[in-house]
Amino acid sequence: MIWIETLINGLLLGGLYALFGLGLSLIFGVMKIANIAHGEMAIGGAFLAIATANFIGLPLVLTVPIILLMAWGFGFALQMAVINRVLGSDPMPPLLMTFGLSIVVQNLLVEMFGADNRSLDIGALGTASIQIGNTSLGVFPLLMFAIALALFGALHWSLHHTRWGRNLRATSDDPEIVGMMGIDRRRVFAMVMGLSAALAALSGMMLAMRGSITPFSGGERLLIAFEVIVIGGLGSIWGSLIGGLVLGIVHVIGLRLDPASGPLYGHLLLLVILLAKPEGLAGKARSR
Amino acid sequence: MLEVEGLDAFYGDFQALFDIGFTQKSGETLALIGANGAGKSSLLHSICGLTSETGTIRLNGAEIGKLPPKVRAELGVSLSPEGRRMFSSLTVRENLQIGANTGRPGPWSLDRVTELFPILEEFANRPASLLSGGQQQMVAIGRALMANPDLLLLDEVSLGLAPVVAEEVMAALASIRGESQMMTILVEQDVSRAIAASDCFVCLLEGRVVLDGVSEGADLGAIGHAYFGEDDA
Ligand SMILES: Nc1ncnc2c1ncn2[C@@H]1O[C@H](COP(=O)(O)OP(=O)(O)OP(=O)(O)O)[C@@H](O)[C@H]1O
Ligand SMILES: [Mg+2]
Repeated sequence: MIWIETLINGLLLGGLYALFGLGLSLIFGVMKIANIAHGEMAIGGAFLAIATANFIGLPLVLTVPIILLMAWGFGFALQMAVINRVLGSDPMPPLLMTFGLSIVVQNLLVEMFGADNRSLDIGALGTASIQIGNTSLGVFPLLMFAIALALFGALHWSLHHTRWGRNLRATSDDPEIVGMMGIDRRRVFAMVMGLSAALAALSGMMLAMRGSITPFSGGERLLIAFEVIVIGGLGSIWGSLIGGLVLGIVHVIGLRLDPASGPLYGHLLLLVILLAKPEGLAGKARSR
Repeated sequence: MLEVEGLDAFYGDFQALFDIGFTQKSGETLALIGANGAGKSSLLHSICGLTSETGTIRLNGAEIGKLPPKVRAELGVSLSPEGRRMFSSLTVRENLQIGANTGRPGPWSLDRVTELFPILEEFANRPASLLSGGQQQMVAIGRALMANPDLLLLDEVSLGLAPVVAEEVMAALASIRGESQMMTILVEQDVSRAIAASDCFVCLLEGRVVLDGVSEGADLGAIGHAYFGEDDA
């Protein structure tokens, strides 16, 4: 029984991991660049939420959408003002740019909040649980998981059934020529960066709701996001979901077998995947 | 009406076009001919704003030479690019639909394009990358037509098409010439076919215009000399 519970807890944690990966994967899929500041965007969003909820005292139901909007605006503006200028055939400038951003954000957070552990208080929801047979499941992890699944579903639907999604996929396929289809690729990139930043902030806030964070938590989140998309497979949003779920299960089982292991088994899994199936679990081998 | 004056085009430090100039009247088809590497695709790209170019390009009186590709497309420039450039994660239908993004009114619609290329109806829901080369070429032409362009740029569209289909495409293009003021620039490897299908022609050599004129009764010998850069003096 304890194993079923462990497995389910792994899945639920995996939903959060998948969200971390999804934002990074979108950026990579459309712009072919890695956003090194992804973890700091998540943690920065969470700290802003902590400031808004704990210090100003705004209720969480208001705080979360406000932070999501702000994150979206930040991502959009960042892309329009900075990253679009350095995008080109060389992946180094955007990489360095986002690396610089991650350091700036981290230092700002330390400056403003100190290095202490902090979390977002969700009250009774944090401890509520439901009993199914002998298994006890937390209501909040279940809720997070449902939100993650709903977001994956919504994104998939809009990629395939809206004009926005069609333009986004076309831009990812061939950014040079989409101008002739009436698409401004810099705007598409900015929308994607905004969406990615909002997803990052959401997963950061969820992380701060289920545990605690410090201004230094970003690096570890970036690593998880990278592992998720490599394990799952680059280039498809379902790769992120599968990668997240598998990584979540492996982390939870690893910690149960070997409480001192930390993220070790996740890293080992990454190595195995890179050796055995480098295109990822859900990835197609690249033919082009 | 398309007026090009003093057009230079660059890829980084490399200059592909030198002082290009020609005019094309509304409703006309212009054949752009020249050897491999002469700059035909570069000229089409610079009309679209896909190279860095300097000079004047006027479409129906409006200067478009400094506008971004998106705005030129909205003003009626449409390209069927060399090598087809399918959006590989889009279905055939989506590839066609995306051509209509600019929302320009006109005779071309999904129905009209599939009437021209019935096979595309059958494969509408397939990823465009799974079609054969010739079928992809039909999608590329259809996608360009969906924009209801004022200026249609066709870069080697008969490449990969069966001769009968190529003839059909030419015939279809000829038939819509009568009913609209659309201009077409046609890049073709087959010089005599290009001349036969056009009202006027421009011959490029190493990035420069070496000969232009009216297609009807054009001197194929002189074109041949210009094409290969032979001095006929
Ligand atoms: N993206 C590019 N970057 C750098 N140089 C280029 C690029 N595209 C074309 N060129 C160069 O510009 C010149 C003209 O090329 P272009 O493609 O316009 O020729 P073309 O007349 O279309 O030839 P073809 O009949 O082979 O298609 C060539 O010397 C080519 O090497
Ligand atoms: Mg060419």
